[in-house]
Parts: sequence; C-alpha cells; structure tokens
Amino acid sequence: MIKLENINKTYFGAQPLHVLKGINLEVAEGELVSIMGASGSGKSTLLNILGILDNYDEGDYYLAGKLVKNLSENQAAEFRNKLIGFIFQSFNLIPFKTALENVALPLFYQGVNRKKRIMMAMEYLERFGLKDWAEHYPNELSGGQKQRVSIARALVTSPKIILADEPTGALDSKTSAEVMQILREVNASGITMVIVTHERGIANLTKKIVHLKDGVIESIEENDPDKMDFTKEIK
Amino acid sequence: MFNKDFWSEIFMALRRNKLRTILTGFAISWGIFMLIILLSAGNGLKNGVTGNFADRIKNTYTIWSSSTELPYKGHKAGRFIILNNKDIQFLESLYEVEEVSPVLSKGGTLIFGEKSRSVSLEGVKPIYKNIQGIKIIEGRFINENDMKNKLKVIVIDKNTNEELLRTTEETSMIGKTVYINDLGFKVIGVSKGMAFGEMGQCYAPYTTLQTIYNVNEYYQLTFTTKGLNTKEDNETFKTELKRKIAAIHDFSPEDQRGVWIDSEMINSLETMKIFNTINIFIWIIGIAMLISGVVGVSNIMRITVKERTNEIGIRKALGAKPRSILLSIVMESLVITTIFGYIGMISGVGVMEIVNIIMGSSGAGVNTEMEMSVFVNPTVDINIVVMATLVLIISGVAAGFAPAWNSVKVKPIEAMNYR
Ligand SMILES: Nc1ncnc2c1ncn2[C@@H]1O[C@H](COP(=O)(O)OP(=O)(O)OP(=O)(O)O)[C@@H](O)[C@H]1O
Ligand SMILES: [Mg+2]
Repeated sequence: MIKLENINKTYFGAQPLHVLKGINLEVAEGELVSIMGASGSGKSTLLNILGILDNYDEGDYYLAGKLVKNLSENQAAEFRNKLIGFIFQSFNLIPFKTALENVALPLFYQGVNRKKRIMMAMEYLERFGLKDWAEHYPNELSGGQKQRVSIARALVTSPKIILADEPTGALDSKTSAEVMQILREVNASGITMVIVTHERGIANLTKKIVHLKDGVIESIEENDPDKMDFTKEIK
Repeated sequence: MFNKDFWSEIFMALRRNKLRTILTGFAISWGIFMLIILLSAGNGLKNGVTGNFADRIKNTYTIWSSSTELPYKGHKAGRFIILNNKDIQFLESLYEVEEVSPVLSKGGTLIFGEKSRSVSLEGVKPIYKNIQGIKIIEGRFINENDMKNKLKVIVIDKNTNEELLRTTEETSMIGKTVYINDLGFKVIGVSKGMAFGEMGQCYAPYTTLQTIYNVNEYYQLTFTTKGLNTKEDNETFKTELKRKIAAIHDFSPEDQRGVWIDSEMINSLETMKIFNTINIFIWIIGIAMLISGVVGVSNIMRITVKERTNEIGIRKALGAKPRSILLSIVMESLVITTIFGYIGMISGVGVMEIVNIIMGSSGAGVNTEMEMSVFVNPTVDINIVVMATLVLIISGVAAGFAPAWNSVKVKPIEAMNYR
C-alpha cells in the first residue's frame, strides 16, 4: 500500500534543516503501524509526506502502486479525497460547520449529492455514538467527541488508508483508550493505518512500531497488541 | 459546478460567519452610501444655484443710467447720464440687437378698496419676463395684445397680492381693478417677485405707460441680441457699445462710469466657470471617497481570506481542488459585495429622496428674502451610482482573490499550520 524509497526532506528556513535522511519503509494493505520518536525527530514531517500534504526532495513514494511525485494540485487533491483519511491531534474541524456538516464535507468534494451526503455522514456519526451531537458545532463538543467526529470524517469516504498524527495527544487517558479502540476496530475492517505517537502505550496497541530518530529509521519492532491488558492504563 | 449545492454551501458559509459577513458588507454599504450622499449633495447645490438662473434667457444686455467720473469737453465730472428715446433708436439700428425692452419706472401708491401699498410700477415688454426670469404664480404676464392695444393691465407681486387679499373674503386678485395714481389697472397676474421689504413691484405694458406719461427718460434699457455667442464676441460688442453711447451722450469713452452695461451672457459664462469648478471638486472628492472605499473593502477582504487560511488547508486535506476553493471564496465575496452594495445604493438613494421630499415641503434651503433656492433636487445620476458600486464590487473581489490564490497555492500543511 505504501512504499518509501530513500525519502529525503529538508526544510529551507533561516537555516536549512535536513529532517528526513533517507527513509525506506513499506506498509502493506491492512497493516496497523505506529511511528514513534522524540520530539523533532521528523514524525509529523514523514506523515505529512505520506498524506501528500507536503512534498519531499529526494527518493520515491509509491501510494497504492502509483508514484507520488511532482503531482499537480488537482491530482494530489484526488489522491487525498479518494485514498486517504486524516486524523489530527488538533482535530482540524471547521468551526462554523456542525459535526454532521464536517463529516459530510469530503463527500461534497466527491460530488455526492446533499441528501446522500447527510445520510452517509449521519450513519458514521451514529456508528461512533454521536447521533445526538450531529447538529452541534465543534466548540460545543468535548475533545473525545471532536476526535470521534474527525474519525467519522476520515472514514466517510471509505479511504484505503488512515493517517493519524498524535490522535490521542489532546485527550486524557480514558478517552485515549476509547479512541484507540475505535481505530483498532477500523483497522480490523481492513483499512491500512499509520499512527504517529510519542506514547509507548499507544504504540503498544499497534502491530508494527517504527522508531524514528533524527530523521532515520532506527528500528522496526513487531508487536502483538492482543497481549496487552486493556483493563490497565495505557499510559 | 454552479448547482444548488454550490450556492447553498456559499450562503451557509455567509450565514454562519455573520460577523465577518456583516463587517465586510457594512464597509461596502457605507462606502456606496456616502458616495451617493456626497454626489447628491453636490448636485443639489449645483441644481440650486443654476436653477436660479435657468429661467433667464442668456442673450440679454442691460444698460443702466449712472453719473460720469471724468470731466469731458467742458462737462464736469459727476454729470448724471439719463437714457432716452435716441438711445432706443440707436440700439434698434444695430444689427446685433434683436429687441429692445425699455424699462419705464414710476413710483406710486396702489389702492384697492381700503388698502394701499407703495409700489414701483414698471412699464415693460413681454420679453422682459424672460430677460429677468420672472416667475408667474397666478394668471399671466403682459402679452403682445396688451402692448398693441395699450391695455391698462397690471401684474402685481406675491407680497402685494397677499397684502391686498388679507382680511378680505376674496381668494384671488385676478380680474380686480386696482388704482395707481388715480388710474385703474386690471390685475392679470401675480409674479413670484424679487421685491424687498415694503415696496411692491408691479408691471404694466410699456406702451400703456408710455402713452400715459409720455416718458423720454429711462434709467434702465434692456435688449436681446443675436449672433453673440462667445465671451470674446460679447466683450467686443460691450466695449464698442459703451464707446458709442459715450459719443451720443458726450462723455469720455475712457469713463469707467457714465452708464453701466451688463451682459447676462458674460455673467452666465462666469457662473458656468464656477459651476464647472464645483463640479470638478465634487468629482475629486467622490473619486477620493471611492478610492478609500476600495482600499477599505480590499483590506477587509484580504484579512478575511487570511483568516480562512486554516480552513482552506483543511478543505485541501479533505480533497478540495484549488479551483473549487477559489471559486467559493470569489463567489462568497461577490455575493456579499453585491448584496450589501445594493443595500448601500438603495439606502443612499432612499435617504436623498426623503431629504428631497422634506425639503420640497418645508422649503428648507430656500432663502425666502431672495426667493432663491440654494439646494434643489439633490439626486444623483443612477448610472454613476451603478458604476461606483460595480467598481467597489470588482475591486473587493479582486482584493480577495490574491490572498485566496496564495492560500490555495501553498502546501496544505502550511495552510493548516498557518498562524
Ligand atoms: N515548516 C517547517 N519549516 C521549518 N522547519 C520545520 C517545519 N516543520 C517542522 N520543522 C522542523 O523539522 C523538525 C521535525 O519536525 P516534525 O514536526 O516532523 O517533528 P515531530 O517528530 O513531529 O515532533 P513532535 O513530536 O514535537 O510533533 C523539527 O526540528 C521542526 O522544528
Ligand atoms: Mg509532530
């Protein structure tokens, strides 16, 4: 599903900063992968490249068998719309749209008609127990509710892959556990998932942990999340 | 692309962002509103001032009697020159002179029943109405028939009319006979009048008064001209005329006084110059206001689009294509500017219409002493308003377009992390 070959990325700010230094990584369809590493190690940068939210300088990135390089904005939009669902630490919901409208928005860009959009969005909200919150605006929702709305939004287009940057970063441990439970279920339904986190407890719930350090992959750790005891705190 | 869905998205975004919508809209409405008020006020001023002269015909001259300033050929300075029938004959012999209208002035007391009022009675020709811009509010002015038959008819002024009617049952003086110096005159009209104070101003046919009084002395001669269209023509004619009158009456051609010659054409050309200056001034202010409006609207547009950078980033992450984002931003600003521009236009025109009506009924802005209006019909050319509105709309949209284009061009992650 994802194949990275020698990905390099430099930020040309006041001082050029070589953030990713030759990343090689493969993620197969249906995998649940986490990326761990210290702050500033380049986790978000890597994930943004995976999501075509940012470009890279060197190497090749294949997404679903297609080379993602020098895409036009329209092609990139197409990829993001059809293949990828995003979940962010800060939710990135549009504040003046209701939960329902936020979830329905990606379908608008797919050209789905209004009635069908609302119906599908409602279906996903219901699935995450948010039926009663459909008409609420983001600022009327708790952190956990907001993250569930953004998960619903990521899933509503039935993407092949979910990219999550610190999805539990703004949540308390109990809510984090609930969100992770949802993400694991989503993965179990066959959707590939890459989660960036710096919490070991979160990474432990994934099947493959990629350790990133100073822009290089230090190690890739296989993990069996089912060994974990869910009655315990995950942090 | 422009289906119902698209528009409902646009209107929803505007409704949900009420403050932003209203602030932007207000800037536009206010700009248009002020522009209309300004242009209308300017026009009102112009209409008011020109209106006072509009009824007068322009190709007229007036010669006034006056005293000399210089001694000449044995005559001492300070001799009073009185115009006479020789001058009329001379004027009538000139090619440029169309019609001479002497003014035969007589003072007297007008008596009607118990009432009396001192008046100045002027014997004039029908053309005098147009020369002086006399307004008739009831009845008619002197006509050729009155002249030919030397009828004893009279046009009285408004104040005299009111004075004579006061405490009587009568509602109109038309057809009544009034007496001046024991001669009966039938009232045929009431003029709006230029009279000051207690003195009334009445007009009778020139021929009638000439027959009665056999006058050969005039303090004022007026005449119309033909073929004198430019300022130069008139200046030349005036100088030449002065020289010839000086010869007839034996006073120095160099004399600044002796007689006064006044050309309505020269005056009106001077006034036109002033109006043109006022006009240019109004336009400069109007354009300055339009520019400040454009700057204001553009700034607000730029700021709102900047504010939306995050939203744009999110939309891009969700798969929005640049064209779709740009289109909705441009359409949103177009809808705002159009609706509020229209509101500003309607309210500006509305306010001026109301001012117009109030002024019309109360007579505000009218100097009653002089019976002159300084502020008339303060309205503005609707085409100019529409053009100004369009300029604001287009510049507003254009101003929003540049930052929108920038936000759309940057990588989605940059837009999302903006600020
Ligand atoms: N737009 C940018 N311009 C310049 N430098 C950047 C930019 N974004 C990130 N960086 C730098 O690149 C490095 C990697 O950033 P990145 O956000 O990928 O780290 P991270 O691993 O996600 O860290 P954290 O755990 O704190 O989120 C950091 O040193 C950061 O300061
Ligand atoms: Mg990060």
